[in-house]
Amino acid sequence: MDISENLDSILSTQDELEPLLEESPALVQKRRSQGRIIFDRFVRNKAAVVGAVFLILLFLFCFLGPTVTGHNKPDQQNLTSVTDTLAPPSWKYPFGTDDLGRDELARAMVGGQTSLLVGLSSMLMAIVLGVGIGAFAGFYGGIVDNLLMRLTDVVLSVPLYLLLFVLSATFTDGTPRSVIILIAIFGWTIAARLVRGEFLALKEREFVYAARTVGAKDFRLMFRHILPNAAGPIIVNATLLTSSNIILESVLSYFGFGIKLPNASWGSMLNYGENLADVAPWLIYVPALLIFFTVLSLNLVGDGLRDALDPYMTER
Amino acid sequence: MGEYLLEVQDLKTYFKTKAGYVRAVDGVTFAVKPGEKVALVGESGCGKSVTALSIMRLVAQPPGEYAGGSIIFEDQDLLELPESAMRRIRGGKIGMIFQDPMTCLNPTMPIGKQIAEGLQIHLKLSKDEALKRATKLLEEVGIPDVANRINAYPHQFSGGMRQRVMIAIALACNPKLLIADEPTTALDVTVQAQILELISGICSEFGTALILITHDLGVVAGMTDRVIVMYAGRVVEEAPTEELFANPRHPYTLGLLNSVPRLDEAGHSELRTIEGAPPDLLRPPTGCRFMPRCIYARNICRQMPPLEPLVGHSEHRKACWLDVTDPKEQAHAEQRRQARIAAQRAALEAAMSNSNSSSTTARSS
Amino acid sequence: MGRYIIRRLIQAIPLLFLISIAMFGLIHALPGGPAAVIFNPHLTAAGRAALVAKFGLNDPLPVQYLKWLSQMLVGNFGYSFQTNQPVSQIIAERFPNTLQLFGSALVLALILAIILGIIAAVRQGSIVDYTLMTLSYFGIAMPVFVLGLIAQNVFAVQLHWFPPSGLSSPIFGMSPFQSFLDHLDHLFMPMCVLAVAFIAGWSRYMRSSMIEVVKQDYMRTARAKGVSPIPLLIKHALRNAVIPLITVVAIDFGSVAGGAAITEGVFAWPGMGLQFLDSLDRRDYPVLLAMLLLSAVFVISFNLIADILYAVMDPRIRYS
Repeated sequence: MDISENLDSILSTQDELEPLLEESPALVQKRRSQGRIIFDRFVRNKAAVVGAVFLILLFLFCFLGPTVTGHNKPDQQNLTSVTDTLAPPSWKYPFGTDDLGRDELARAMVGGQTSLLVGLSSMLMAIVLGVGIGAFAGFYGGIVDNLLMRLTDVVLSVPLYLLLFVLSATFTDGTPRSVIILIAIFGWTIAARLVRGEFLALKEREFVYAARTVGAKDFRLMFRHILPNAAGPIIVNATLLTSSNIILESVLSYFGFGIKLPNASWGSMLNYGENLADVAPWLIYVPALLIFFTVLSLNLVGDGLRDALDPYMTER
Repeated sequence: MGEYLLEVQDLKTYFKTKAGYVRAVDGVTFAVKPGEKVALVGESGCGKSVTALSIMRLVAQPPGEYAGGSIIFEDQDLLELPESAMRRIRGGKIGMIFQDPMTCLNPTMPIGKQIAEGLQIHLKLSKDEALKRATKLLEEVGIPDVANRINAYPHQFSGGMRQRVMIAIALACNPKLLIADEPTTALDVTVQAQILELISGICSEFGTALILITHDLGVVAGMTDRVIVMYAGRVVEEAPTEELFANPRHPYTLGLLNSVPRLDEAGHSELRTIEGAPPDLLRPPTGCRFMPRCIYARNICRQMPPLEPLVGHSEHRKACWLDVTDPKEQAHAEQRRQARIAAQRAALEAAMSNSNSSSTTARSS
Repeated sequence: MGRYIIRRLIQAIPLLFLISIAMFGLIHALPGGPAAVIFNPHLTAAGRAALVAKFGLNDPLPVQYLKWLSQMLVGNFGYSFQTNQPVSQIIAERFPNTLQLFGSALVLALILAIILGIIAAVRQGSIVDYTLMTLSYFGIAMPVFVLGLIAQNVFAVQLHWFPPSGLSSPIFGMSPFQSFLDHLDHLFMPMCVLAVAFIAGWSRYMRSSMIEVVKQDYMRTARAKGVSPIPLLIKHALRNAVIPLITVVAIDFGSVAGGAAITEGVFAWPGMGLQFLDSLDRRDYPVLLAMLLLSAVFVISFNLIADILYAVMDPRIRYS
């Protein structure tokens, strides 16, 4: 068009109109450690944080509570005082009392110790078992894998509660230890499946070959090299397993098969309180709500961990 | 109705994101006559698909918004119509086929029913009548063994066959306008020609206007009456097909045409590209959007050029202040080009010598 | 599809086989061994001898297993220690009650889960969606028996809206209609508690399935055809979204066999689950073991049904 001729004289031929290949400023990012990245991610999830805080408070409640609050006599009976038996929640007895005048708050704390202990210990046993089985199955593959997975299938097919009821009635004696072992025996399957999957995928990666060329033996490969990479899903599974184990123990105890007197857990408190539920409903509500909120918090934390751990590999 | 079947006037379609509005279509104007075949070309991200979706009002409303302009179809502004009226137009007056035939058909519905559905909605046919029409349509689009295939499911067809089914669906109710959004991009090369011929043939036969969206200029040449070139959400040039190929006037069009490798040029010569990348549509530049990449650019280009017809060629419009046929402009552009190439080489050498002196590990690009 | 079904059936057989071996092993693992399991303490010597022969108790293990297995396959699960009834008869008596409870909970849960899932998906991101998702999360975290206990206490014991347990009220002279209503009255709470447990998970699944489907290209094609919102939702979206849900439903329902004991236990509903608990109290092993075996078969069958349903509902598998 015509304007260009006029413009030509006004403009210099060195029009700075286009960016030549610029050098982008070097971006120096301070790398956070992996742990820090995961922690930051987790903290962003408010629900998970609430769950984690609740769990911490719960632990303190159950384990430190008795000494701190002075409600530390779960078995002390107050049979003589009418106002102290079947008392609804009050300042003196925040969770009320049962028909023998026993302090429900104290019982909740001590029972919580058992419930949490059983849940965690059985989870740890199950995870160790599951990781071991899964690692072997995934690493060696072939017949070993096949056999172990068939075994897993069988265990998963049988309805868990029914079997546990029968076995619990027959083999356990009401102590936490027997219940822990029983629950653990059936808890390893999902962890095993998980770990096997991870191992199958990871064993073909280069870092495994690299370690092999340096002379690493099988065991070392499995547990020093591959396992840390599979840690994420295992941790998530562990959290959720804890919550289902706590439920399992509660169910068993409620039906009279798990924890029995003189031991107490939230489940057994439900068992005891059911008969009195019409006149003293708090005997039901206290353990029931404690179980619910514990499970809810564990689920929230587990989901939060899953979100925090999962994509951390892709962050640069 | 006037001369045009469809008039898009200063259409603006924006997408709301956390960072602001992405102006995918930012003032697009063009028109289509009845029975005319128009190509809408441009690179990925230039807004041609969004324009097509806007005409059908299929843009997802929460992030998307029709921020301005009008789309006049048969004397009605489609942007002002109530949704129920728009539904009658979709499939009934305007048909659309999409890019990936593998995912565009409902996997749990037999294809006969999928074609018949439109007939039942718009032409109010009964189920049986609709299925009979559907069978005929399938024959017309070239599906063999129709009697057996009418009840088959999409996964039992190949990609090319599925696209034929899509064409049957789009044209079932004999719409006035067919919009084809990159209909052959996802298909085998051998099948591409067949599908394009099919579309072209049916449109000619029934007098259906066609908007063919593509980034492949080769496709455009044989099929269309007119070409509209889009860049960064705006129309930059528009002309009858032969005129555009013979006499391109916008630097972007020039670049596009030059970048197509030709059979008659020396082998092993460098591919010509257009340097740079399209602008960020969140904060588009206020002037001509092609300016940063344009070798012809002048200071005046900092103002947005209007889409105006060429002197003496009312059918040929361009949005550029400059005359690229002017030898002075061409000389200036050539200078710019050489300077650019030299600068690139210098920067490349600088980078190589840096990497040679600093580390020995290979860099991944 | 026929081949697919046959293949799945064949795959299930080794599993059933292994389960039967596991059960057999269990019998021998229990204290007292098979003797405690099979011998009713009240049996006469002749009765014992007959059982010994039938179950091959003095034979080598493999033979014993085969004899035991053949008895199981015929449906001869032995006789209850408690009542001397054939176990199969006891199970047959209790089965309809369990079916009632779980069947109605299943139907209720499925309908509500689909509706709620659709609502949450269509109103994704809104308060409604957020509320539904939060509630369903609570529902998943809440163990069934805890929910049952609390509901029982609140609604039956404290508020007296519903009877706390059992199948029917011990009132004489009710007309058939009245006793039908009374029956429903008793069914309501356990059915709802069970349904809630199902709905929590299923509605979330339905929601994410719908969200996935709505994003698909074929939905855009349907809209480009001019299909109105309701047929769009039902004929196009729902039809595709519901397929994965149905398999989840079938699998969840299969694992219900364990949950039967829990829900029926809390509400004293006289079904197979409650029978299991009663028999457990009395160490009535024939009943227990029969139920264990049957419920394992139940679980495996429903997993199989889930696969078959999927094949039937998805044309991509049906015709391939």
